[in-house]
Amino acid sequence: MSTEVEAQIDQSLATLRAAFSPRFEAAAGAGGEPALREENAKILGKKGELTAILKQMGTVPGDARKRIGEKVNLLKQEVEARFEALIKTLAASKRDAELNALPFDLTLPGRAPTPRGHRHPVSSVREEVLDIFASLGFAVHDGPEIELKENNFTRLGFPPDHPATDMQDTFWTTSGTLLRTHTSNVQVRAMMSQKPPMAFVAPGAVYRRDDDVTHSPMFHQIEGFVVDEKVTFAELKGTLAEFAERLYGPGTPIRMRPSYFPFVEPGAEVDIGCVFCIQPSGTRRGCSVCKRTGWIEILGCGMIHPVVFEHCGIDPERYTGFAFGMGVERVAMLRYGIPDIRLLFENDPRFLSQF
Amino acid sequence: MKASLSWLQSLVPGLPGAPDLVAARLTGAGLEVEGVHVFGAGAECCLVVRVTAVRPHPSREGLRLVTVDRGSASQELVCGAPNVPEPGGMVVLAPLGTYLPAKDMTIEPRAIGGVTSEGMLCSEAELGLSTDGDGIIVFAPDFVPPGTPLLEAWPSASDTIFEISLTPNRPDGLGHIGLARELSVLFELPFAPPMPARLAAREHDVAIVIDDGERCPHYASAILLGVNVGASPAWVRHRLNSLGVRAISNVVDVTNLVLLEYGHPMHAFDLALLRGEKVHVRLARAGETLRTLDGVDRSLDGDDLVIADAAGPTALAGVMGGAGSEVKPTTENLFFECAYFDPRTVRRSARRYGMHTESSHRFERGVDHGDTDNALARAVALTQELAGGLLQGVKRVDQKAIEPGRVSLRMTRMTQLLGHAIDRDVSTRVLKSLGFVLDENGSDADTYRVPTHRPDVSREVDLIEEVARVVGLDAIAAVRPRVRPSVPVGGRERLIRRVREEAVGLGLSEALTYAFVAEGDLALLGAPAPAVRLANPLHEHHTVMRTTLLPGLLQAAARARRHNERHLRLFAVGSIFLEGGELPAERPTVAFLLGGERPAFLSRLQSYDAWDAKGLAVSLVERLVHSTPEVVPFEATTRPQHLHPRAAGRLVLAGKEIGQLGLLHPDVVDAIDLDGEAWVAEIDLSLIDIDVPKRTRFMPIAKFPISSRDLAVVVSENILAGDVARVIGAVAGDLAERVDIFDRFQGGTLPTGQVSLAFHVVYRAKDRTLTDAEIDAKHAAVVTAVTSRFGGTLRAWYRQEPE
Ligand SMILES: [Zn+2]
Repeated sequence: MSTEVEAQIDQSLATLRAAFSPRFEAAAGAGGEPALREENAKILGKKGELTAILKQMGTVPGDARKRIGEKVNLLKQEVEARFEALIKTLAASKRDAELNALPFDLTLPGRAPTPRGHRHPVSSVREEVLDIFASLGFAVHDGPEIELKENNFTRLGFPPDHPATDMQDTFWTTSGTLLRTHTSNVQVRAMMSQKPPMAFVAPGAVYRRDDDVTHSPMFHQIEGFVVDEKVTFAELKGTLAEFAERLYGPGTPIRMRPSYFPFVEPGAEVDIGCVFCIQPSGTRRGCSVCKRTGWIEILGCGMIHPVVFEHCGIDPERYTGFAFGMGVERVAMLRYGIPDIRLLFENDPRFLSQF
Repeated sequence: MKASLSWLQSLVPGLPGAPDLVAARLTGAGLEVEGVHVFGAGAECCLVVRVTAVRPHPSREGLRLVTVDRGSASQELVCGAPNVPEPGGMVVLAPLGTYLPAKDMTIEPRAIGGVTSEGMLCSEAELGLSTDGDGIIVFAPDFVPPGTPLLEAWPSASDTIFEISLTPNRPDGLGHIGLARELSVLFELPFAPPMPARLAAREHDVAIVIDDGERCPHYASAILLGVNVGASPAWVRHRLNSLGVRAISNVVDVTNLVLLEYGHPMHAFDLALLRGEKVHVRLARAGETLRTLDGVDRSLDGDDLVIADAAGPTALAGVMGGAGSEVKPTTENLFFECAYFDPRTVRRSARRYGMHTESSHRFERGVDHGDTDNALARAVALTQELAGGLLQGVKRVDQKAIEPGRVSLRMTRMTQLLGHAIDRDVSTRVLKSLGFVLDENGSDADTYRVPTHRPDVSREVDLIEEVARVVGLDAIAAVRPRVRPSVPVGGRERLIRRVREEAVGLGLSEALTYAFVAEGDLALLGAPAPAVRLANPLHEHHTVMRTTLLPGLLQAAARARRHNERHLRLFAVGSIFLEGGELPAERPTVAFLLGGERPAFLSRLQSYDAWDAKGLAVSLVERLVHSTPEVVPFEATTRPQHLHPRAAGRLVLAGKEIGQLGLLHPDVVDAIDLDGEAWVAEIDLSLIDIDVPKRTRFMPIAKFPISSRDLAVVVSENILAGDVARVIGAVAGDLAERVDIFDRFQGGTLPTGQVSLAFHVVYRAKDRTLTDAEIDAKHAAVVTAVTSRFGGTLRAWYRQEPE
């Protein structure tokens, strides 16, 4: 009886052993991993075929049971191994298929998180210039755009009814104040409210009654000034030379020409060596930007006039100082090769998107 | 100021003839030469030739064939000028190959009606000598031998002219004598100004009365009888023309020559037209008028200084003469005036009438008050040379002495200010040659008397500048700036910068807009009434200072749309000007505009909508202050008029309104021709504190798990999602960590007028793990509150399985 059962079991095991691998392969081939797992469950699952075979063992004696148990286990291991191997093969071929599928079309546009925004060129230059002076120890100082005549002209030493005021044709308000013609009003305000030493830069909008290719009725200026004991013209020159090299590149020379601004003396205009026609040899050929001179005017400067100190309550014998000012639009126009100042204020998207 | 090189050379013997060298030195000393050009270019090739025969052109009416003798040879030319002289007369020939820049033409052989002409007989206009192009230049038969080069016969027909841009502190540069003095110093050459003899004559009988010595300290005059008013000789005409002054008559030309030489304006009156033998320098009286030389009748102001005769004003002092006493061809007797008028008085009068004359330009800047006698003597001598006449008398009134300034110069101070030591000898030499008189020689300081031609010098620093500019600023070696600790960019600039950075990061492009706008634009946008109005606007659309940034942005948008740029993402940052105290309040503000369609990815473009505008505004603020502002819809009664009734909200941060946003009202869109809708927002940056993020305090990370519930209700479409969310939050209380809306749905099976809103509520307690029962109870309360409060029906509420 028992040997009969054992033989029967042996028979079942032999049949299963012969069948499981082709069955796995057929299932995997037909239904992939899920079908393979299903087939595996049919054999090894709780209600699977091998379990069913194992259940018959209860009727056989101990030693035969042991033998059968070993055979069943052996077969189970074989089935599992085959199953795992096939799973791996399937995963590998799936990975392989995925790797070999059609590539994504990377020539399609990228999905930008936001479109690109554009800084106005005047702002870029303004930030760059201020950063240079900040690194040289100049703090930024604010001042109002609508100003008293005293702070814009009188305290800066503009004589009343003097042609010097023609240099800055002024917008007046109906209440007798004015739109500042330069950011030098900040100089006055700083000196009236603080004690030297001081080193400031004052950026901002200024206004003059002018409107043509090179003049806008509103434009932006950056003025810088230093007040301390023993400040010299030589130091002014050194400061501006440093600035020119940082803004326009190492080796950019500056040149000073005496000039006149009521609030500085000696006063000068500063040219930099033309950055448009410089040759690899370092010489300058002259071009339309520099009007064939090799030099481009970029700012005005000078030693703060003692009358300004007097008007602001600072002892001109003890303190000296220098001041300089530049038009931001002009610096931007030179930098980017913009021929007409009005382009800066039209805000054409085709213009703004270039910067 | 135009200056003649040949004139300067006559005043500074030895001055180099190379224009570039002279120009560079002037510019280097602060008298900027802006341009150099040649007067009479082409004249150097021309010859003076004699006409030997004239006959009509065989086929062309109005043309003649002129045979000329050019010394070595004869040639026949075709000429169309009406004034070809009889044989024997002398004319100017431009030979073949001559280039005439004035007409931009090169003389080439030309066949005219079958006759070939190899050369051209020239007019003054063709040589650029004057604007006179009516006829060719004709000389007397015995002028020079035929074939003489034109410039040998007529040296004044060529010159080099400098365009000098003078700063307002240098009135001395407005005359050739002043420029020559400067050049003599710069080139260290002798200076040879004219030395007119003192006028030796008795006092004339015209009474000179000066009311106000402040306004007219000096008045010198001379009377010349029996002058012949006529055309000036060529050298005078050429000189004036080369310097941009029209030649008029010998007498008027003399006053202009003296103006260009001394920089001192003069005036010549027809003595016969001075009524009552009296010159009265006084202020104009109420109701007085004057017809000035330009033919304009001017109602005078009580602040105008006039030269009056016994009957009334006859010149506006220092600005322009009167038509009534003008020198005419019939004038025989002259009254010359050479005075010094107060600069401010002249300037006010000139500006009052919008007149800017050669005379007012100089008086405003301060002419040399010490040279009236010289200039007058020079004018008398030149007049006698050109127009004859007898000096009948002179008279000078000095109403007020102008004391010469005395200024000390300390060598130590100069070194200290320049950071560069200049030799005392050099300094003394420079100042003396500029005309300063060394008065006193102290141990360290020199005291100088200021010459009358330098009214700009009154302080030590003025002398330092004189020395520095003559020595040359290039001579001062640059010194590295002293080391100062670098400082971060602060103040309003820092705020504006942060805003710009974030706005650009959010895909907006920066517009630079004018701060002045049209008042109507502010009214149209319902912005505050202007606090600042311009008294002298440049344009009628720039009359007041903006109280909103929107006009500039809208103009930019309208302009862009006209150029077919429809998709707009613009921002502007700057000040608006509101009512303040003595000065207006300048408030930093940012505004943006969205128009057209949002960028899309491989899908149909869609127009910007309310949530784009809101998202942008909220993101901008969030990035600046690290907290999220709320957008609260405006009530109809408080809604700004420039926003659409359906889409207008206030931006609220921590309970404070910081800005507004919405869709531009269609009426505004139409009014400014915007051609399509635009979303706008404006934020008051004075209410934004970008330092808030620095004060962030760390919060312990929540320890206990979250548990989420969803909730979908169908409510009337006029219920605001935000209101529902707020109720959910209020009822869920501390247990609700977040309430998010994740779906809004209309249509489908929903009844008309109903909307389904779905929320996701995240529950978490700080101190324990919540039980399902606890959360379910809380969520049930939420559902009840929402349905009863908003009259909604529950569509679903379910719990989310944790993953
Ligand atoms: Zn160049």
